[in-house]
This record gives sequence, structure tokens and C-alpha cells, in this order.
Amino acid sequence: MTAADRDPVFLPAGLRERVMAASLLAREAGQPVPAVPAISGPEAFGRAADAFYGLLAALEEQDWARPVLRDLDVQGLTGHLFGVEEDIQRAMTGDPAMADTDHVSSTQDAAVRQAGRPPALTMRDWRRAADRTLEQARARDGGTERIAVHGIRLPLDDLLVVRAFELWVHENDIRRCAGLNPSLPDPAVLRLMSDLAARMLPFAAARTGLREPVNVHLVLTGPGGGTWDLAVGQEADGQGPGQDVMIVTDAVGFCRLAANRTTPAELGPHVTGDAVRAAEVLAAASTLALD
Amino acid sequence: MTASAQLCLDKPATVLMTVGHCPAGGSQASVRGVEGSDALLAARLAAGDERALAEAFDRLAPSVYSGALRVLGNGSAAQDVVQDVFVELWGHPGRYDPSAGSLRTYLIVLARHRAVDLLRSELRRVARQERHYRMTPAEPPGSASDEVMAAETASVVRAAVQLLPDGQRRVVELAYFEGLTCREVARTMGIPEGTAKSRLRLAMAKLESVLDRQLLEST
Repeated sequence: MTAADRDPVFLPAGLRERVMAASLLAREAGQPVPAVPAISGPEAFGRAADAFYGLLAALEEQDWARPVLRDLDVQGLTGHLFGVEEDIQRAMTGDPAMADTDHVSSTQDAAVRQAGRPPALTMRDWRRAADRTLEQARARDGGTERIAVHGIRLPLDDLLVVRAFELWVHENDIRRCAGLNPSLPDPAVLRLMSDLAARMLPFAAARTGLREPVNVHLVLTGPGGGTWDLAVGQEADGQGPGQDVMIVTDAVGFCRLAANRTTPAELGPHVTGDAVRAAEVLAAASTLALD
Repeated sequence: MTASAQLCLDKPATVLMTVGHCPAGGSQASVRGVEGSDALLAARLAAGDERALAEAFDRLAPSVYSGALRVLGNGSAAQDVVQDVFVELWGHPGRYDPSAGSLRTYLIVLARHRAVDLLRSELRRVARQERHYRMTPAEPPGSASDEVMAAETASVVRAAVQLLPDGQRRVVELAYFEGLTCREVARTMGIPEGTAKSRLRLAMAKLESVLDRQLLEST
């Protein structure tokens, strides 16, 4: 703010408080506009599955053999997702073996098995598996029961948002390798994804050993965004109140960061406060890899 | 607000549910600190960032208040306008288009519209009151009630005039209530005669929009 921005006018006492109170009465802090409809975890997963299936159905025969991720081609990646659905279903039935199994190695067989199969069968098998996941999730009574799978333990609703996250990320992996434009999740799904990524930021920071406590005012702009105030790093080291840092970036970019598909440098957020602390927080976010 | 900074950090090795990869350059993190622009402020408002609202208020409320006060000439009414304007900004930040101009200009224009609306509303209220008096069954000319009504009508017009901005109000008072010519008004106020005339025209247009001409002429 420059001096020229201010007029030499003295505002009546109490006007600021009155205006802030009236505004926040009209709309709560943290709530984005336009508002997005609240949807459940299963609904988010269902929408992401539909989008992923829509992409697979639109691929040309040769696209299935394109290298996309690690040593996987598109068909292998779809097989990996088939394997994830199977693991999730087993976890939902309470299979303790799923709790600490590795996300990649546990699904590698399913990925490798696709080699030589007609892509249409791979696509059909994954779709059926995703539908089974959805049916099983919807049949459960509420989404608050914690499910342990692939080293994470989350309420079912959140777990399905993680899965929606994963499908969106891999959909865009495939789009990139096939030369297609990237897609955006619909705002209701994106809102759940950005909310989950924001809420997990303190855990990511704890895992990365963030050195000092930081109070993060995180503002994610655009459809599906919102505002969060997060105490990051405080509980881990038991220190007093941390420094204030504000990070503003767009919701889609932040989700790509959390999925490890972009870097803080590429994201180019707007930061106020201690830039070093902000960089540490963003580096922690990039390790969430919710896909 | 912070200055720009370029930083390099080692990327933590621990990864949750990984099947992905970090793109080239992923081993380094950088953060840009930047000064907030109007577009950024609007985006933050849309994201529900109450700090953005506070920043917008601190930076722009004085201009909004001044603009409203100039139109209304009444501090209490101007405060109402300031509240309306910022509640509108908070509730519908998407109505501000950064490509069309600055947030300051947008809010000042909004404040002026609200102030004029408020002025009109008040003048209409006064006019309704005046019509109510006139529709009351008349008594014989020259009666005491006629005198009371004439006095009240004059009072209504004076109240309407009080709602005009300072410069316009003074011109009307001198010309109509003190019977000065435009030249005398200009001399009294120390302004060019043309300015006095244009202020009078503006003032009358505002008054005529709500008070009927006959009333003005009879006063």
C-alpha cells in the first residue's frame, strides 16, 4: 500500500468493526463464492471415476502403449488403478494386511498383468472394480469410519477424496503423454480435494521435520478454493506460537503441488511474511503425494 | 508485504502413496513474495479471506466514506453507505472486474450510486409525507390549517434541500430562501457565476426528481 492509496480522512470510530461484523454475518470467513455444492466422498470418487473412464474411452489404440509413469504405459497404469481398487475393497472389509502394504509394489502385479491384453478389457475391468469400490462405500453406514490402507488411515469419506485425487492426477498424466489438454475437476470435487490437502499440511510438515512452528494463512483461489488457518509444526516441536505466513495460490495449482506434479517454483504463490518458512511449508505440501 | 525472495531447499525424501514423480526442477523450492494487486485482492475475497476484506477496508474505506459524504452531506448516512459497499464487495467480489479498472474506482462509483439511491429514497419519503398533507381534506382558504400546511410544506422542502451536497445546498438556500440572484449568489460564495448556475441546475434536478414542481414553485 502506498501513501497515495490513503485519503487523509478520519473514519468514524467503530465503523471498521461494524463493517467487518456486517460482512461476516452475510458470509462466513473461509467460504468461497460462488459457493460450490457440498458433495460426499463417494460422490467425489464417482465423478472422478466417470471422468477417468471418459478419457480411457476416448483414447486411440496406440495411446494405450504410451509410456506414462515410472515404467508403466497407459494400460499398465490403468492396471495399477485396478490393483488399488482391489486393495481399497479389501481394506474396507477390514483386512489388516492392507494397512501397511506399499501403494506401488502391492499393485505392481495388476499393472504388469495388463501387458498383451486388449485395452478394452483392461478398461472394462478397471471400471467394474471402481464401481465395486463405490458400491461397497455407499453400502457402509456413514463415511467417518477409519480405513487403513497403503500406509494411511483416514475416514472413508476422506479416503475416497484421496482416490478422486489420484484418478484426476493419473487422468492428467495420461492426457499429457497423449498430447491432450489437461482437465480440471469439477468445483465440488476440487473443493474437497483442496480442503483435504490443506488439512493434511500439518501432517506433511511433521513428516518432513519442519524446523519451527508457523501459523499458515492459506488462501486457495478460484473455483473449489477457500481459506484455511493452519498451525504447522507447533505440536511436533512443542514450541510457542509461530510466525505468521500467508500463502495465496490457486486451488488447482495447490492440488497439483500436493500431488507432486508441480513444484513451488512453478506454482509461484503470493507470499507475505517469512518467505523461508513459506518455502518450507510448500516443500512439505509437495510431499503429500495424495495420488 | 515482503520483497521477492528466491530460495532453494532440499526436497524431503518421505513420500506418501507414491506412484508419481517430481517434474524436472522438483528438488528445489522457490517462493515469490509479491505486493497484492486488486486482482489478487478480489481473488482472495472470493476465496473467503477475511484478511483481504480488512485490507480492502483499511486501504479504501476513507475514499468510499469521502465519496458518500460528498453526496449525502451526512456522516451517519455515509457510514451506512460504507457498510453497504463493503458488504456488497464481500458478498459478491466477482462483480468487480479488475480488467475494467481499479478496485478504488469501482468502490467509489458503487458508493456514489448507493448514496444517490439513499438520497432519492429520503426525498421520496419527504415527498410522500408532503402528498399526505395535501390529500388531507382542505379547509376554507386563509384558515389556520392552511398556514400550518404551508409551513410544513416549506419545512419538507427545506429538509430535502438539507440532503443536497454542501455546495449545491448553499446555492439553493441563497437563491430560493434568501432571494439572491445568481450573480449575487456567486459573489456571496466567491465562485464564478457559471458555477453557481450549474450547481443550481444540478440541485433543482435532484429535487425535482422527487418533489413535484408545483410544490417547489409554490414555496
